[in-house]
Amino acid sequence: MSVKYIPVQWNPNKYIYDAVMLLGVGLFLYVFLYASPGILSHERPINPQVHNARAFGACAFVMLTVILCIGPLARLDPRFLPLLYNRRHFGVMTVFVAITHAGYIVDWYFAFSSSNKYEALLFANTSYGQLAGFPFEVFGIFALFTLILLAATSHDFWMKFLSPPVWKRIHYLIYPAYLSVVAHVSFGILQDQQNHAFTMIFIGGAAAVGILQLIAALKERRADQELASEAVEWVPVCDVSEMKEGFAKIKLLANGERVAVYLNEGKLSAISNACAHQNGPLGEGQIIDCLVTCPWHGFQYDVTNGRSPAPFTEKIPTYNLKTEGTRVLVDPRANPPGTYVEPVPAGATS
Amino acid sequence: MSDKDRPFFVGYLPAPKALRGLLLAVCVLFISGLAGFGLALGIAQDDPGEGAFRFDYGRQTVTGVVELTPYPLLRVTEGNERIPAGHTLMLAGGGKTNVESRAIPLEGQLAQVSGVLLERGSLDMMQVRGGRNGLQAAEGEVPVFETIPLGRWKLAGEICDGKCLAGAMRPGRGLAHKACANLCLLGKVPPVFVSTQPVDGSEFLLITGPDGGHLPESAYHYVAQFVSLEGEVERRGDLLVLRLDPDTLEVLE
Repeated sequence: MSVKYIPVQWNPNKYIYDAVMLLGVGLFLYVFLYASPGILSHERPINPQVHNARAFGACAFVMLTVILCIGPLARLDPRFLPLLYNRRHFGVMTVFVAITHAGYIVDWYFAFSSSNKYEALLFANTSYGQLAGFPFEVFGIFALFTLILLAATSHDFWMKFLSPPVWKRIHYLIYPAYLSVVAHVSFGILQDQQNHAFTMIFIGGAAAVGILQLIAALKERRADQELASEAVEWVPVCDVSEMKEGFAKIKLLANGERVAVYLNEGKLSAISNACAHQNGPLGEGQIIDCLVTCPWHGFQYDVTNGRSPAPFTEKIPTYNLKTEGTRVLVDPRANPPGTYVEPVPAGATS
Repeated sequence: MSDKDRPFFVGYLPAPKALRGLLLAVCVLFISGLAGFGLALGIAQDDPGEGAFRFDYGRQTVTGVVELTPYPLLRVTEGNERIPAGHTLMLAGGGKTNVESRAIPLEGQLAQVSGVLLERGSLDMMQVRGGRNGLQAAEGEVPVFETIPLGRWKLAGEICDGKCLAGAMRPGRGLAHKACANLCLLGKVPPVFVSTQPVDGSEFLLITGPDGGHLPESAYHYVAQFVSLEGEVERRGDLLVLRLDPDTLEVLE
């Protein structure tokens, strides 16, 4: 949470996250660049520029693969949510590694001619009508520019400026970008590779991303089916006895919105399940210091009015609640963000 | 749905004790995993072969007769320890450039050529120095060299740019290198066909377009692929020249 925009709001966990990330990336590059040539029994070494390009390209692919595994992993097991916390730094680092890869490629394969190297990148191979020999560079260019766009707009300023839904849609471009990287590698280096270790690692990485995303999506679909409700005036949420102090029950409304019903100090309140920051699932968070705390980045809201505590200004919609006997019911019509709703006494609770 | 039995991580607060073991294990796995992938991918790289710039030979200077195919060749008359007399040497400029503008005025004449040799097995090429120091007319009697027609051949293999193939880049062939090869060919660097079967004892043939022209740009789509083609082959000293019939180009599975 922030009141003013500063480049990075550092805290000890971010330092640890970035240190681990940099150490891993540094080790990957060091081992690839300096340890592996001694093991290779080549009569003459691969050109250093090609070797460097491969090291940074392979590293960017592995980083992107890890990044895309974090999301579904955290959805499948919330204990992995800390990996999500500072993922944007991981993404920005990946962009720098990918740019370095592109730099070595352009400065080597597309230099030394009488043409501008960036123009040469676009016209040297125009065999778009064939699979073998397809100009795989275009996939790399698309992926790189997309990653740069995502990194450049990763700061919270852009999320506020563009609005979270627009920002989120832009950042879904990570999936086409990853597919483009897969195509870039498949139509490029994979076509020439005689040693299949790289092929196996590449396919394994891409398959891990695909399978994890699929499993997480299926799990969410099943969960949505359990949470789904009819389009009625008052939507039943659960029995009061199922509520736990400081925690929530989530309900999927007929209009597709999710509502999180919290029990706080023996009273029930309902807020939108989507955090104003990155649409994090507020109902999967918990109340800390009387405030609902998002499990993704720790944004906090007063459960009675959906407002972040001063001096913060984030606001989310609230919902009206009532109880009928021991049943908790929610009005599916959301109140404007920040609207105070009198908490409903829960009566008998666990 | 939130769960009070689950440790709850908030980024700006110390990590819950119940999560610390798992997070430590993830950190160790991440760091060692990346190092492991770096090693596995680093040692999975294929051997780029023996081709290389032979800077270790030092600058080479030889004399011979300039021929244009239209790619410039030198039929060596006065060689040295590395480049014997009778050898036919393909000539290229620095980077992805050619020496045609300097070779055309000297066609059929004796010339002294100086530069760095590139060598891959029986394939070689000279990267000629810039200006007159690289290619200049030489005094002496001009011998007559034969061009022996070897007839029409159907061959299978790969069209490469001769300079990268000879060792300017390691690796210097294959589909991942196609754009670079095309750029060399656009720069009129001599293209080389690598035949799967030797033709009159040689697996490397300088490949040109039909009727004494450069390799047609329509053939660039076939560069770096396994193709079959037909054309007239002629022998110029120890170098074979293949005059491609572009209509016969076909990608092989």
